Amino acid sequence: MDEVDLQKLQQQDQEAFAALVRAHHRSLTALAATLVASSDVDEVVQNTWVKAYGAIQKFEGRSTLRTWLTRILVNEAKMHHRSQYRRLAVIELGEDALEGRFNDNGRWQQPPGRWSSDDPEALLMEQDMADCLEKTFAEMPENQRAMIEMRDVQLMSFDDICNDLNVSASNARVLLHRARTAVYALVDHYQETGEC
Amino acid sequence: MLSCKEVVVEIERRLDGELSWRARMALRMHLLMCRHCGRYERQLKLLLAGLQRLHSPATDAEVQQVLDAVNAADPGPSSRL
Repeated sequence: MDEVDLQKLQQQDQEAFAALVRAHHRSLTALAATLVASSDVDEVVQNTWVKAYGAIQKFEGRSTLRTWLTRILVNEAKMHHRSQYRRLAVIELGEDALEGRFNDNGRWQQPPGRWSSDDPEALLMEQDMADCLEKTFAEMPENQRAMIEMRDVQLMSFDDICNDLNVSASNARVLLHRARTAVYALVDHYQETGEC
Repeated sequence: MLSCKEVVVEIERRLDGELSWRARMALRMHLLMCRHCGRYERQLKLLLAGLQRLHSPATDAEVQQVLDAVNAADPGPSSRL
């Protein structure tokens, strides 16, 4: 995703900045939706871009642009609405979607099915699959969704995530595992049945 | 000997670089012998690669909206947006 021309970006070149926005706006919006109330999402994301534009000349390349933008967004979300943000600190670990697929000895009793696709892009992009995924994300506890967006989409470090969400490393690990297995179970079921 | 239920957790820990050498060996032994867990690992890696591409690029209208907001916040002579 970081194929934007950094030199041009730091000269505040319009096309380079537009390319940066095009590449990251949707993922920043999705992450913001897990951190603040839905009515505040647009404002937080907009403020993030304003801050990023103002600070781009100071970007030193110590992290990826994706990580840099994510840090700005998380700080904006924290500043924007502290009480709303803190809600994430309440731990709701949720269910393990694979729990019923093992027998008492911990062996698979309902093993993984065959998947028709080995192309990661095609796997989640088919329209029906994308709709199912959206539904699963909507029903997922907010902090699980935040873990997926932070760790698996934005590739943030565990330490940063634990600090930002105010969760322990062990709880973060459980949240992420449950979020991933929920998505895995959905895809596995969809591959087998063609339905959510 | 790890159970399959433990292995699905260990696979994630290995992907995140959190396993000791000994734990990695135990996981590797299990994966060599258990085709179900081997398949799960391949599918999970595929899924995680897919999640990185989860969000499509913003539309021209969304990009323009951001550029307008940035321009409104920074109307100085250096702004070219």
